[in-house]
Amino acid sequence: MPVKNEFDVIIIGGGITGAGTARDCAMRGLKVLLIERHDIATGATGRNHGLLHSGARYAVKDSESAEECIRENKILRSIAANCVEDTGGLFITLPEDADAGFGLDYQQKFIEACTKAGIDAHAISPAEAIAMEPSVNPTLIGAVVVPDGSVDPFRLCAANVTDAAMHGAKILPYTEFLDFVREGDTILGVRVRDARSGQESEYRAPVTVNAAGIWGHGVAEKAGVHIGMYPAKGALLVFGHRVNNVVINRCRKSADGDILVPGDSVTVIGTTSTKVPFEECDHMEVTPDEVRLLLREGCALCPALASTRILRAYAGVRPLVADDSDPTGRSISRGIVCLDHETRDGIKGFVSITGGKLMTYRLMAELATDAVCRKLGVTQACTTAETPLPGSADGRIESVSKRFEGKPSAGQKGAAGRQGDLVGKIHFNTEADRQLVCECENVTLAEIKYAVAELGVRSLGDLRRRTRVGMGTCQGTLCIRKAAKALAEALGDPSLAPKLAADYLDERWKGMRAVGWGATLREMEFMQRVYKFEKPYSYDEV
Amino acid sequence: MMKFDVVVIGGGLAGMTAATELQRSGLRCAVVAAGLSLHDAPRRDFKAAGGTLLAGDIVVSGQIEGGRLVSVRTEKLGEVLLEADWFVLATGKYFSQGIVADMDKVYEPVFGLDVEYDEDRSGWFDPSFAAPQRFLEFGVKTIDGCALKDGSPISNLLPAGEVLAGLSSAQGDATAAIRQSALDAVAIIRRK
Amino acid sequence: MQETNISAKNFEQCQKCSICETVCPVMANNPAYGGPKRSGPDGERYRLKNGIFFDDSLKYCLNCKRCEVACPSGVRIADLIQQARIDYGRKAPKLRDMMLASTDQMGPVAGAFAPLVNFSLGLSPVKGLMDLTLGIDKHRTLPKYSSETFVHWFKKNAAAKQDAFRKHISYFHGCYANFNYPQLGKDFVAVLNAFGYGVHLIDERCCGVAKIANGMIPAATRDARTNIAEFEKAVSQGRDIVTVSTTCTMTLLEEYPELLKVDNSKVKDHISLVEQFLYKAIASGEVKPVWKEGYKARAAYHCPCHQERLGLGIFTTELLKMIPGMELTELESNCCGIAGTYGFKKENYKYSQMIGKPLFDDIAAQAPEFVACECETCKWQIEMSTGVPVKNPVSILAEALDLEATAAANR
Repeated sequence: MPVKNEFDVIIIGGGITGAGTARDCAMRGLKVLLIERHDIATGATGRNHGLLHSGARYAVKDSESAEECIRENKILRSIAANCVEDTGGLFITLPEDADAGFGLDYQQKFIEACTKAGIDAHAISPAEAIAMEPSVNPTLIGAVVVPDGSVDPFRLCAANVTDAAMHGAKILPYTEFLDFVREGDTILGVRVRDARSGQESEYRAPVTVNAAGIWGHGVAEKAGVHIGMYPAKGALLVFGHRVNNVVINRCRKSADGDILVPGDSVTVIGTTSTKVPFEECDHMEVTPDEVRLLLREGCALCPALASTRILRAYAGVRPLVADDSDPTGRSISRGIVCLDHETRDGIKGFVSITGGKLMTYRLMAELATDAVCRKLGVTQACTTAETPLPGSADGRIESVSKRFEGKPSAGQKGAAGRQGDLVGKIHFNTEADRQLVCECENVTLAEIKYAVAELGVRSLGDLRRRTRVGMGTCQGTLCIRKAAKALAEALGDPSLAPKLAADYLDERWKGMRAVGWGATLREMEFMQRVYKFEKPYSYDEV
Repeated sequence: MMKFDVVVIGGGLAGMTAATELQRSGLRCAVVAAGLSLHDAPRRDFKAAGGTLLAGDIVVSGQIEGGRLVSVRTEKLGEVLLEADWFVLATGKYFSQGIVADMDKVYEPVFGLDVEYDEDRSGWFDPSFAAPQRFLEFGVKTIDGCALKDGSPISNLLPAGEVLAGLSSAQGDATAAIRQSALDAVAIIRRK
Repeated sequence: MQETNISAKNFEQCQKCSICETVCPVMANNPAYGGPKRSGPDGERYRLKNGIFFDDSLKYCLNCKRCEVACPSGVRIADLIQQARIDYGRKAPKLRDMMLASTDQMGPVAGAFAPLVNFSLGLSPVKGLMDLTLGIDKHRTLPKYSSETFVHWFKKNAAAKQDAFRKHISYFHGCYANFNYPQLGKDFVAVLNAFGYGVHLIDERCCGVAKIANGMIPAATRDARTNIAEFEKAVSQGRDIVTVSTTCTMTLLEEYPELLKVDNSKVKDHISLVEQFLYKAIASGEVKPVWKEGYKARAAYHCPCHQERLGLGIFTTELLKMIPGMELTELESNCCGIAGTYGFKKENYKYSQMIGKPLFDDIAAQAPEFVACECETCKWQIEMSTGVPVKNPVSILAEALDLEATAAANR
């Protein structure tokens, strides 16, 4: 077995935390290896609202989280401009909230708590709220404006990985962690398996960081370390278009299904919270009860959801951590948990970074990198809060679109919105390159070629996370075959196309099954027909 | 009121096959086609045979008396009802909204006909896209070729094509079976 | 909870089946146009995200609404496109577009100088100048203006007699019958009077279709409000509103509430096309036609796009088939390419003629004595492009009915 020891740090997990840590470590001059068993952003990173929290949600109960959020909110707006959208947010009070003890008195308390945490929050009248967001429940009795936004977690994660790579990090997706290489109480490295070839290898570094989200529980167990994790499933629904343009929350004690986020071309409602066994974390299915709950709560925020097509349902697992100070394990920490296993458990060369939120990934990465640097005796300061991510120097579609010669096409504007100022790397040379592959989401062949060449795409799921291919109204009915062909060709092996398409169809199918009625079921029938019965009817003379 | 011998509801393969066949055999036939089928040929053949095509219109309700469908109301013609001796229901499945699924049930939206489906949603879909899908088997029930409402037959309303339970083109080529179901309806009309 | 999932204009009911693209006459001919699916429902999702996704090429849509007729999902595709043009296309309309669109304001001016205007409109140098300066294509024969408007004629010759009838209707004549072709209005009055209906005019404004197409929304909305108020007055007097133009009718029935947000719900059920009105009256035995002895005609019916959308063409064909001696065939359903003011614009002329070609070929193949068609702009286009005369069904009825005997039978 080949043994490679050219790294300072190995990071397990290609979610946003691992990606951010890889970037931070690489920017501080460390030689970084990141391993991820699937593609980047496939766990909880890609399975949440995509909400750029202002922190207001936590202000009353958890001022520390609130302060972290608003700080990171401002940082992400400046370093990840093409991943973030400044939608603004509303916290609305409904008559039933007042009946439940969360009336305008609570609203006042909420505003005070926000202000104390440094969150700019001010009350507006119901009429002003309706003018700001016409889809909001018109029975509202009060509203507070906060600086919420939306963030595309796929792009954010990809940008971190790209930047890490640009700073010399080695990124190995589809590389499964098998076990640690250890000598006594010291972790020397990891044993991994290439998910495709099955080839096993060993990598060594003086420090290994466990950034595997909920799967970090199992990673730690391999080192003989117990982290009291609590897998909390959160289900969400995606609606067919942007119903709202402002994030809508309920101004009350946080509960299920009370955040509605406009993200890219869709709106997302979520989420539920249910404890699930660890063995289910790889196979999340959204249940009919969860769908009903989300719809009921969603309609309270925005009545139009009752008549809006649902594209799909999905669920993620939050990596919640039991508080180390509570021996019963019942008290859950919502904050960031950075564990140096040398001081905690006597295991050297091993750090776990978990808990936290998508919003605070950068801070988590900074804390983890600080821990790594302490071990390595590196004193470089963190610069991730000041340095824009690739593509983000200019994040406005309007100005990026001006970079094209002549009038930009829908596909070019779509690419500008997604890839930010990296659009210059996309080559719209030929007529075929300019053709849309995914018409719902304005994805051209050129952008697909770029994603394969520059963004480490191997499957249609990977391509979806970089470009939104197949994420629109038809969920790939019209584009999966075309996209599979384009991807297989870009990967240099046209014979891969059927397998790429089949895998992606199963993935799309999964999300649609949970909401299989109405217009979605119509699409599902059409999708079956398109892929199982290619030949259209032949009409012979009767 | 406009009177025809046969009103065919639906302008897809089953509907146009039945309508053209009937029109050519001398019956006065109207087709109400919500949305156009992808093919011009059936439409041309039917019109060439002298048939009446109501393109882009949909049947919104029907008047059922004594186990017979007397007339149907369309969205565009409003109070001018289409009356006929026979009606062929060729409205297809979910895509063309011959049957509609909501969160709790599957139903036939125009007449409220009896539909065969599983009440338990958990078996509707196979997790593998490529596997046969149970939901594609659902459709209206028939007895002796007639549609049923609340368990009783409507003697002159003949479902044909994919609106029928057990008939779907989404799992593979069902052209022959669809055409045959239309010809079965034609045979019943000719017999009477 | 989710019993229906219907969004505004049904746009996300779109299943991406793309059948609309197969019937779009523009997409087939003009590569600069993205087609109905992409301009309509696909584009709408992205426009909701950011107005920058509004695309200038939406102007190529001629609003024939064939996509809507073809759509199996009930998506109001053309409405989505028109709405987007209203909401995002914020450029001020060009002088030419304003001139073409202001049918009721240009009409009186041009009509007063009709011989002069018609003479100069026909002159090549004048047409060349219009081509250059206004962007009205020089190949177009602009519609001629009549020296006496229909309304003027009506007031002078017909108005006084109308109260004597037992039954009464209000006539929405439209700009065309008034300014360009008063004979149609005269035929209308003759036929309706023969069937025993007194004809009354209302203080009508242009229906607004041309203003909508050319982005003059406030003006169109003002006119719409006036018309609806007038209709409500007529309905309160027990009079239905009878129309002759399919495009005006579609505008009154569909575009007012959908695009101009003018509520027509109180009068909607009282507005009918004359063919629909007469078919119903004859079929129910309310009135009785007496046909001329020996009338013979061989006509081909062209169903205008907006009639396809209204879905009322069956009344025209069933009505014409009642005429003894009428040999009626139906032309394949195709767009003639003119689409109101669309085909007059220099940038559209080429496509306009390409779009119409299948129809022109069909007419040439069937070689009827005349084409029967309810639409005035189809008439210009077909007559200009094929040389075959086009007759409005009302004018055909006026020829085929024994008007005196009919009047006697319906007194």
